[in-house]
Amino acid sequence: MIPKGTGASETDVTWEDQQNINKFGRLNNRFHELEDEIKFVKETIDNLEDASNELILTDEDVVRFQIGEVFAHVPKEEVETRIEEMKEVSSKNLEKFEEEKESVVAQMGELKKVLYGKFKDSINLEED
Amino acid sequence: MAAAASSSSTESPKTTTERRGIPGAQFVEDVETYLSQTALDVNSTLAFLQERLQQYKLVEMKLLAQQRGLQAKIPDIEKCLDVVVTLQAEKGTGEAFIADFEVSEGIYSRARIEDNDSVCLWLGANVMLEYSCEEATSLLKKNSENAKASLEVLIADLQFLRDQVTITQVTIARVYNWDVHQRRIRQTATSSATKDS
Repeated sequence: MIPKGTGASETDVTWEDQQNINKFGRLNNRFHELEDEIKFVKETIDNLEDASNELILTDEDVVRFQIGEVFAHVPKEEVETRIEEMKEVSSKNLEKFEEEKESVVAQMGELKKVLYGKFKDSINLEED
Repeated sequence: MAAAASSSSTESPKTTTERRGIPGAQFVEDVETYLSQTALDVNSTLAFLQERLQQYKLVEMKLLAQQRGLQAKIPDIEKCLDVVVTLQAEKGTGEAFIADFEVSEGIYSRARIEDNDSVCLWLGANVMLEYSCEEATSLLKKNSENAKASLEVLIADLQFLRDQVTITQVTIARVYNWDVHQRRIRQTATSSATKDS
């Protein structure tokens, strides 16, 4: 786990310190969740790219497009439009996640400064 | 969502009693006062705190399992909603809707779905009910919203739980350090006493 006092010093822990430690823990969890989400969205975008490339190469007019659990017969143009829309949505999500990740990293950096400043060696905030 | 959900304010109570059955961890201002309050010795206190930590871990496993369940359910509901919405859209065109569906692994069959106004929804427990397209859409949307709301509550519970775990871990470390400090003081006191005598 991240915050653990290892030294035998007598530094007092105030409620504010505890709240900072808690907040750091929450941010760290969120950071890992965001990394997973970003990986998933990037994979989705790659798949959509591959799909639209395949679409350009195919000469069929009707493409089997997955909706839910079935593959519906959809005309090629509609499939192109749908894939473009899905790519848009995924790109927007990716942007949103990357932004949130940057903010989380910045907040964690600030908290690290505060907590290391007070506790120095008594606290460990690094990834194990 | 999570980054902004920190509940720190200068007026927040230092002992959050509990949340939906999860006992709150008491924040310790001063280790010595805490030990005299509980009238327990250091080892009993540490044992009590460790046990609390185990209980928290158990609850965390349970909540994580529930969260995984919900996270699997929500895309399923969305998929069903997609199909119903597509069927409704095709209704207007007058053409039949052709789809390939899986009969068994690797084997697909073609279905020709004529214009119609109703769909059957699987409700679970071997029950399937026929709904009109509009009713089906609204039911699925409602289920999806409920699932998402439950997921949010669950995530908030998990955050609360993790905070309590952190507080307990910090308290354990502080009690332990205080004990080590006390032993050191006693040792230096007895060694200087033996030197003097």
